[in-house]
Amino acid sequence: MQRFKIVVSTILALAALAVLLFGPRPGATRPKDRVVVTYWEKWTNKEADQMKQIVNDFNNTVGKEKNIFVEYLSMSSINQKTLVSTAAGVPPDVAGVWDAQVPQFAAVDALEPLDELAAAKGITKGYYKPVYWEGCSYNGRLWAMVSTPAAVALHYNKRIFKENAAKLKAAGLDPDRAPQTLDELDRYAAVIDKKDKQGSLEMTGYLPMEPGWWLSQTAYWFGTDIFDPKTQKFTLTDPKVVRAYEWIRSYSVKLGKESMSEFRGSFGTFDSPNNPFMVGKLAMVQQGPWMSNYIENNRPKLNRVVTNDKKMELAWPAEKRRTNYEWAAAPFPSAVPGMKDVAHCPFDVLVIPRGARHPKEAFEFIAYVNSQGPMEKLCMLHCKNSPLAKVSRNFLQNHPNPYIEVFERLASSPNARTITSLGIWPEVNDELNNVAQRVYLLEARPADALRDAQNRLQEKYDRYQALQIARSKS
Amino acid sequence: MPTYHPDDTDIRVEQSELAAAVGLGATTETVRGVPDDQRPRHTASSSRRKRGEKLMVYLGLAFLSIGFLLPFVWMLSTSLKTLDKTMEFPPQFIPSPVVPGNYWEALTSPKMDFPLFTRNTLIIAVLTVAGTVISSAIVAYGFSKINFKGRNVFFAIMLATMMVPFPVMMVSLFSIFRWMTDNTPIQWMGTFKPLWVPAWFGSAFNIFLLRQFFMTIPDELSESARIDGCSEWGIFSRIVLPLARPALAVVALFTFMGVWNDFLGPLVYLQYPEQYTLALGLQNFQSQQGGTAWNILMAASVLVLSPVIILFFLAQKTFIQGIATTGMKG
Amino acid sequence: MKKKDWAQLSNGLAFLSPWLIGFSVFTLLPIVLSFYYSLCDYTLLQKPLYTGLDNYRALAADPVFWKSLTNTGYYALMALPAGMLVSLGLALLLNADVKGQAIYRTIFFLPSLVPAVASAMLWLWLFNAKLGLINVLLGKIGISGPQWLASQEWAMPALALMSLWGVGNTVVIYLAGLQDVPRELYEAAEIDGANPWQRLRNVTLPMISPVIFFNLVMAIIGSMQVFAVPYIMTGGGPARATYFYTMYLYDNAFNFLRMGYASAMAWVQLFIILCLTGFAFWSSKRWVHYQGK
Repeated sequence: MQRFKIVVSTILALAALAVLLFGPRPGATRPKDRVVVTYWEKWTNKEADQMKQIVNDFNNTVGKEKNIFVEYLSMSSINQKTLVSTAAGVPPDVAGVWDAQVPQFAAVDALEPLDELAAAKGITKGYYKPVYWEGCSYNGRLWAMVSTPAAVALHYNKRIFKENAAKLKAAGLDPDRAPQTLDELDRYAAVIDKKDKQGSLEMTGYLPMEPGWWLSQTAYWFGTDIFDPKTQKFTLTDPKVVRAYEWIRSYSVKLGKESMSEFRGSFGTFDSPNNPFMVGKLAMVQQGPWMSNYIENNRPKLNRVVTNDKKMELAWPAEKRRTNYEWAAAPFPSAVPGMKDVAHCPFDVLVIPRGARHPKEAFEFIAYVNSQGPMEKLCMLHCKNSPLAKVSRNFLQNHPNPYIEVFERLASSPNARTITSLGIWPEVNDELNNVAQRVYLLEARPADALRDAQNRLQEKYDRYQALQIARSKS
Repeated sequence: MPTYHPDDTDIRVEQSELAAAVGLGATTETVRGVPDDQRPRHTASSSRRKRGEKLMVYLGLAFLSIGFLLPFVWMLSTSLKTLDKTMEFPPQFIPSPVVPGNYWEALTSPKMDFPLFTRNTLIIAVLTVAGTVISSAIVAYGFSKINFKGRNVFFAIMLATMMVPFPVMMVSLFSIFRWMTDNTPIQWMGTFKPLWVPAWFGSAFNIFLLRQFFMTIPDELSESARIDGCSEWGIFSRIVLPLARPALAVVALFTFMGVWNDFLGPLVYLQYPEQYTLALGLQNFQSQQGGTAWNILMAASVLVLSPVIILFFLAQKTFIQGIATTGMKG
Repeated sequence: MKKKDWAQLSNGLAFLSPWLIGFSVFTLLPIVLSFYYSLCDYTLLQKPLYTGLDNYRALAADPVFWKSLTNTGYYALMALPAGMLVSLGLALLLNADVKGQAIYRTIFFLPSLVPAVASAMLWLWLFNAKLGLINVLLGKIGISGPQWLASQEWAMPALALMSLWGVGNTVVIYLAGLQDVPRELYEAAEIDGANPWQRLRNVTLPMISPVIFFNLVMAIIGSMQVFAVPYIMTGGGPARATYFYTMYLYDNAFNFLRMGYASAMAWVQLFIILCLTGFAFWSSKRWVHYQGK
């Protein structure tokens, strides 16, 4: 034992010493004659590697020409680092953040305004789809530019619809298309819901909290918003908002809180082959255009109904291409009669934090990412729609998602919405998620839960506004 | 905060309750009180009982070990699975097929430069461990062997600082390093210094721990040295330090483990990818939006953890004796 | 003051000087600043704006603050005593004179080394209502297990149960304390015919009461600062049933950009911990036996 100990400790010590003495030294990877732009991004894994391609493209072309070198750093907890560094006045030149941070950071004056820089490059309002331009603006100025955008749509399993064709027809529903109204969606779901002999759920048509990423936006499909910018008041007690949350509640009532929660417990995580939609436990789900990529990675069979040959498939016309997929995407139906193509559009952005050392050079990079070629390349890699008003034929034809036109249409729709432009949005979102949880756990009636949230948020917002005014005076 | 015994001429008596709390204050007075003729006589019944007790202990240990091994076994088994099997539900503990190649993939992954990150971690670890051990020992000596006015006030303040959550100090601390970069000739930002320099000024937990050890070293030793004209530094370095060697080993081991696994510090202070540490590199395998390659992440985690586990295994005896050693037992 | 006192003072301060310097630069300044921020509206990205006691007043009226505080208290009430008992029990087992203790000690320390994400993933499965190991085992003995993390009532007990896996550090400190209990005392007790339980009650516990006390204080501090693993596992849900004090503090600081508010929370937390520790010190006079006296 004693000898064993000595041997092992010696090996450990020698290995450590060897690494210290002869191990690799940090090599200087950044060219000395170029302006180094630091870019911190929250993506990791595939998305990060794909962005890295764009960064390399830039460094080899425009960057080389203009003597700019973008140094790319990505890590999953980088948000906190970005925040601490920015607070201490040494921010990165470019930061990749979420849509929610645009109003949040802009409101506290933490970003460089981009209007003039953008205008100098000929980038103005008309260059983007309105929803994204709006999302990047706050108080009439432009603070961010899109890195990749999305639009949320209904995804449904064509096979499950077919298998339930008889029952759907009996209920007066068409098994060959998506539900057109929210009421129809509920009816489709009710037909598909299935329990096993013990009474446990085996399959459900739809679950509002699966994945539940955009429950705070539910009001959009009910034709309203949770905040009125004119009166500067939250509208959570508005009957339409209450209806939206009553709708969430109706699923817990219909399926039973216990059996629903047990059923959800059998789901794998989103990015796994046991994703409930991918395994067919859930016939309909609200998701973004990236879903196609995640299916491709986790259950490629769903993307290969007719042929394995992806090259051949890409040559087909869109309609035929879609027959190769077991699933389809369609606008998520609205509760308001006649209101078409309602969509929530989440997106990622690039910003230049206030105090960045090389804002001009940083913008060169951002503008490069936002030019049509690189942007379409990135969006195809990430499997997302384009934020730009103009979309090339190649993009539509060769996009990995055969339903990309649906997402393009949704993003361009007048009923496309993005997060409510509030400096305290993260808090609002947190509170609304809590309301949704209380509602679907049947802990509180929607009207009561919403009233609590209304009071809390209004008070917070008023205080926030008062402080910002006090600050601008001092 | 600490309360004092009315008679505070004898340091050992004067120990604050917290001081004695670590148990090092427990002297072996009572042991001496046991007369020789009462030493145990082994009888047949007592040895049978002993055997029964031992069996119970074995059973208990074996049973509980399974539970405590579970997380680690799960980590190991995930690290040997194919990616699609990692997400299988319910999970299988025995991977099939077994993919040892995951380890090679983790080692050679472009996401993590293992040799470089190991080197970075070692540099920080060596500097931090050395700094913590030396400075904490010096300060702990001041807190235990020199009886001066206000000592206990300082001690109480030091303990209180352990209770302030780090997130609220982080931004100010970062600003301080930035200020020092701008206003002193020393470059702090973008170097390892914010990670290891503070260690050279003592750390509260370790000072506290070492103080407990030093207090168990009888004062007669230091007093007689003082009478012989030995300086405080001489007493510290020639009498107290050698006696407290196991304790210093404990501090070194704790500190090393802390640095090895520290994530937040390197995340905030390191600016360039080539400065990353192992714990930070592991983060590159993780993803917030999904897409985590769990098998590779776990393989990398096992690789990063194994030296620490081996170290603990080898040191656990010193470790346990270290904390318990009273310097002059019996 | 006498000349000797002065000498002592200067000597003492000389030895304390590394800490004094480090403390004032790296600790005191941030702490004082955090107190100042607690009196300000501080968004991190703008200059702090002095608002007096506003943050503290807002805290008193904030239902989420109270919720997170009672959640943390509830958790501590379960996890703290259970943790104390389990760690002590384990230490007693690991202290027994049996072969292979080095391996056992390492095994029991392992969970405190496993990265938080790994243990979170594992526990999410163990607690799964339908397929999780715990409910499957309960089912075998005819108990239909609860929904654990998906239920408001059971999520917190589940987390408390889980915390028992992380007792490795505490066990090591107990082990250290147990080394200090003289064997002769046990032998003497045995001669007096004491059974194992009596030996534990009358010899072991009083002898290691200072260690128990130390671990109690550390556990109070620790349970007030629970954060990482529940944050990954439940994110504070369902419906804030597992929203801990430190999670709310962290969210305020880095997600809501309310560093002033977060600092106020930190000071309230500091105050609470100081009170609890103070109480523990006060009560310790009754049950902690110091050998030195």
